[in-house]
Amino acid sequence: MLLPARLPLLMEFGGTLRPAMLFHSQPFILGFLPLCLAGFFLLGRFAEPAWALRWLLACSLFFYGWWKPEFVLLLAGSILANYALAGRIRRAAAHSPPAARRWLAAGIAFNLALLAWFKYADFLLHAALPQAPALHIFLPLAISFFTFQQIMFLAGNASGECTECGLLHYATFVAFFPHLIAGPIVRPRDIIPQLAARSVAIPRVDNLSAGLLLFLIGLAKKLVLGDTFGCFADTGFNAAALGAPLSFVEAWYAALAYGLQIYFDFSGYSDMAIGLARMLNVDFPVNFASPYQARNIAEFWRRWHITLGWFLRDYLYIPLGGSRCSPARRTLNLVATMLLCGLWHGAAWSFVLWGGLHGVYLVLHRAWPVRLPYAAAQMLTLLAVTIAWVPFRADGLHTAWSMLRGMAGSNGIALPQLIVQAVPPIGWIATPVPVLPFLGDARTLSFPEVSACLLLGWFIVLAMPSVQTLPVKARHWAVTASFAFSLQALFFAPHVTPFLYFRF
Amino acid sequence: MSRRSCISGSDRHALWRLAAACLASLLLYVVLCAEVLDRPLTLGFLRHELDAKLARGAALHGPKLVILAGSNGPYSHRCETIEPILHLPCVNGGVAVGIGLDYLFARWRPLLHPGDTVYLPMEEAQYVRSRTATMLGPDAAIMLRHDRATLLHLTPDRWAGALFATGLRDALVAPVEMALVAAGFRDARSALEGGTNAWGDHTGHTAALGMASQAVLAAETPWHADAAAIRDGYGSSLVAQFIAWARVHGVRVIGGLPTEFADAAMPDATRAAIRQLYLAAGVRFVELPNRSTYPRAAFFDTPDHLNQHWQMIHSAALAHALATQMARDANPEETVAVKKLLRSKGTDAVGRY
Repeated sequence: MLLPARLPLLMEFGGTLRPAMLFHSQPFILGFLPLCLAGFFLLGRFAEPAWALRWLLACSLFFYGWWKPEFVLLLAGSILANYALAGRIRRAAAHSPPAARRWLAAGIAFNLALLAWFKYADFLLHAALPQAPALHIFLPLAISFFTFQQIMFLAGNASGECTECGLLHYATFVAFFPHLIAGPIVRPRDIIPQLAARSVAIPRVDNLSAGLLLFLIGLAKKLVLGDTFGCFADTGFNAAALGAPLSFVEAWYAALAYGLQIYFDFSGYSDMAIGLARMLNVDFPVNFASPYQARNIAEFWRRWHITLGWFLRDYLYIPLGGSRCSPARRTLNLVATMLLCGLWHGAAWSFVLWGGLHGVYLVLHRAWPVRLPYAAAQMLTLLAVTIAWVPFRADGLHTAWSMLRGMAGSNGIALPQLIVQAVPPIGWIATPVPVLPFLGDARTLSFPEVSACLLLGWFIVLAMPSVQTLPVKARHWAVTASFAFSLQALFFAPHVTPFLYFRF
Repeated sequence: MSRRSCISGSDRHALWRLAAACLASLLLYVVLCAEVLDRPLTLGFLRHELDAKLARGAALHGPKLVILAGSNGPYSHRCETIEPILHLPCVNGGVAVGIGLDYLFARWRPLLHPGDTVYLPMEEAQYVRSRTATMLGPDAAIMLRHDRATLLHLTPDRWAGALFATGLRDALVAPVEMALVAAGFRDARSALEGGTNAWGDHTGHTAALGMASQAVLAAETPWHADAAAIRDGYGSSLVAQFIAWARVHGVRVIGGLPTEFADAAMPDATRAAIRQLYLAAGVRFVELPNRSTYPRAAFFDTPDHLNQHWQMIHSAALAHALATQMARDANPEETVAVKKLLRSKGTDAVGRY
C-alpha cells in the first residue's frame, strides 16, 4: 500500500494536518455556523446591533484563526493600519487632493508590500538570483483577498465613494467570514451600509431559507461535483508531473476534468459564500454566470470570477489607461492586466503563462472579432479556456508542456479494448489497450466511468442555467437531486479537499 | 423596522419546501442504492469470490484450514499446495484488503467448527485500518444490496456506512455496469491475469506475465505501519475479538506475516507488534525463517502478490511450518499423524523457500 495521495495537499496548507475551517467541513456546518447564526440573531434580538456585529467579528476572527491563530494578528494589524490610513486619506481629500493622493499611494504601497513579502518574496528572489536559498515565508490565508478589499476601501475614501464608517463596521466588513477567505471581492460601498443597518441582525426567514438553499447547492457543487472531477484531474496531472507519457484521451480527459473541477469548486464556494451572507442579511454580488457558455473570451471574463474582473478593470486596467488610448497602448494594458491577474493567482511562472494566454486571447478577440455560429464560437472559447487551464493546474511548465503534448496526440491515441471491440472503426485511429493507466482508477471500467461523469458535468455547465437565474422551484429540484450525495460526501467520503482558491 | 423577526406564511412554506426537498433526496437515494443501483462488475467480482469461497467452506465437513487475509491470501498463498502437505482440506478465504475484517469474520464464523484452523497472514493495512475506512469499504455497498442479513449483525455505524456508501461516481457507473453485464460483457483483463481455482487460490499470475510490472515493482517504496499503529489499530481490535470468539468455540487461530519485499521489509518493531497481538491473545504465530520476504522479482504486481511460482514455494514452506505449530497443540493422535507427515517430507523442507 502506498501513502494516501491527498496527504501532501493538506500539508501544503500549513505544514500541519489541521486544515483551514472550510465551509464544507463538519466543524463549520455542525458547530461554527449554527453557533454564529444563533449568537448573531439572539444579540440582534435582545441587545444593540453593535453587539451582534461584535459577535460576528469575533466569529470571523475565530474562523480565520482556526487554521493558524498567529495570523489573526496580521489580519487585525492590517485592518487597523488601513482604517487609520483611510482616515488620513479622507481628511486630506477634504482640503488637499494631492496630499490625499500621496496618502493613497502610501496605503496601496503598504498593502502591496505586505502581499509581495508574504506571497512573492521567494518567487522574485528566485527570479533575480536563481541560486539564492529560499526564504520559505509562510503564506497567510486569504492575504490576496483582504489586500484587494482594503485597497478598494482606501481608493473609495480618496474618491469620496466611501463615506466615513466606524472601526467596527470596517473590521467586520474586511473580516466577514463568508468572503474573507476566497471572495467574492465585494465593494465596501455595497457591504458596509448593509452591515451598518440597524436591521442587519434581525432574523429574516426569507433570507435564511434563500441563503440555506444557495448554500446547499454550493455544497453539492463543491463536494459532489468538484471533488469528483478533482480525482480525475489529479490522476492525469500527477502522472504528467512524474514524466508519464499521457495518451490523447488521458490528457484531454484530465484537462476537461480540471476545467469542471475548478468551475464547480470555485462557483460552489461562491454560492456558499453568497448563501451564508444572505443568511446573515447581507447581499453579495454574483461571482459566476455560466462562464463556459460564453461565446468569446471577453464574455468569458464577464462571467468568470466576476468580482475579480471588476477589480482588475476598475483598479488596474482603467488606471493604466484602459481602452481610451492608442491601440498599441491598449494591447499593452490588456496583456499587463492579465499577466498581473495570473501572478495574483500564484507566485509561479505557470500562472503568469495562464494570465498571458488570456491576455493574448483578449487581444486577438479585439483585433479580429470574427463572427461564428453560436455553437462554434462557444466551442472555440471553451477550447482556448481549457488549453489555458493546463499551465494553471500543472505543477510547473514542464508538466504543462507534457500535458499539452499528450493533448496534441504526440504520445498516440489509445482506447480500451472494450470500446474498440464495441465500435471497430475506432480501431483505425486508436490503439486498443486493456486499460488506460492514467485515467481514473486505471481499471477496465475507468473509461466508461470517467466518460459518464464528464458527460454529466459538461451537460450541467453547458446546458443548464446558472444557480442565480434558476427559479426557486428548480433550485429545490437541484437540492432534491444532490442533498443526499452532499451528505454522503460530507460524512462518509474519506477525504475533504480544500477549496482550490484557498491557495490564492 | 421592528426588531422582532417577521415570518410570513410564504416564508414558512419556503423552509418547509426546502426541508421536503432534503427529505425527498434522502428517500430517493436510499431506495435507489438499496433496490436499484448495483455494480455487478466492480463489486460483483468481490462478492462472487467471497461467496464461492464460503460455499467451499460450507461444503467441507470435518476439520479444515481456512486462510483469511486481504488479497495477500489468494495471491501469495495456495491451498492447492498446502492441502496435500497437511492432509487437511484448505480454503483460501481472503478476497481483498478493502473488505472489512468484521464483515469477513461475520461471514466465516457460522462455517467454523471445533477442530478447524484459521491462519491469518493479514496485511499491515488491515491491522491499522480505521473504523471509518472499515465502515466505507466495498463490502458496505455489497451488504446493502445483497447481504442485509449480515449487515444487521454488525454495528450501527456499519449500517450508516452501508446506507451512504454510494457516491456520485458509483451512481453514474452503476447503470453502465448493469448494462454491460446484461450485454454479456467480460473483463478483458481477467482472461489475461488468470482466475480462481476450486480452493480459492488465485492462479495464472505467471512470472512471464509479471514481467510487465517489474519496472513498477522495482521503483515501489512499500508503506509500513509503525508498531504503535498496529497495537492501537481498529483492525487489530477486530482480530483480537475474533481470536477470543474462536477460542470459545474451539477453533484454532494461527497468526502469520504477509509476504513483502526482502529489501524493504517491515521494521522489526512492527513485526514484533503483529506477533505480540497473537501471542497475547494466547494463540500461535508462524514466522518462516525468511519472515515471508522475497526478492522483488518474485512478485507479480504488488508486495502482497507473489507470482505463481513463488506462491507455491511460499505455500509449501508455510505448510510445513503450520504442521509443526498444529502438532504442538493438537490431540495426541493428530500429533502422531503430523509427525509422520513431517518425517515423510524431511525436516529440511521446513523453513526453506
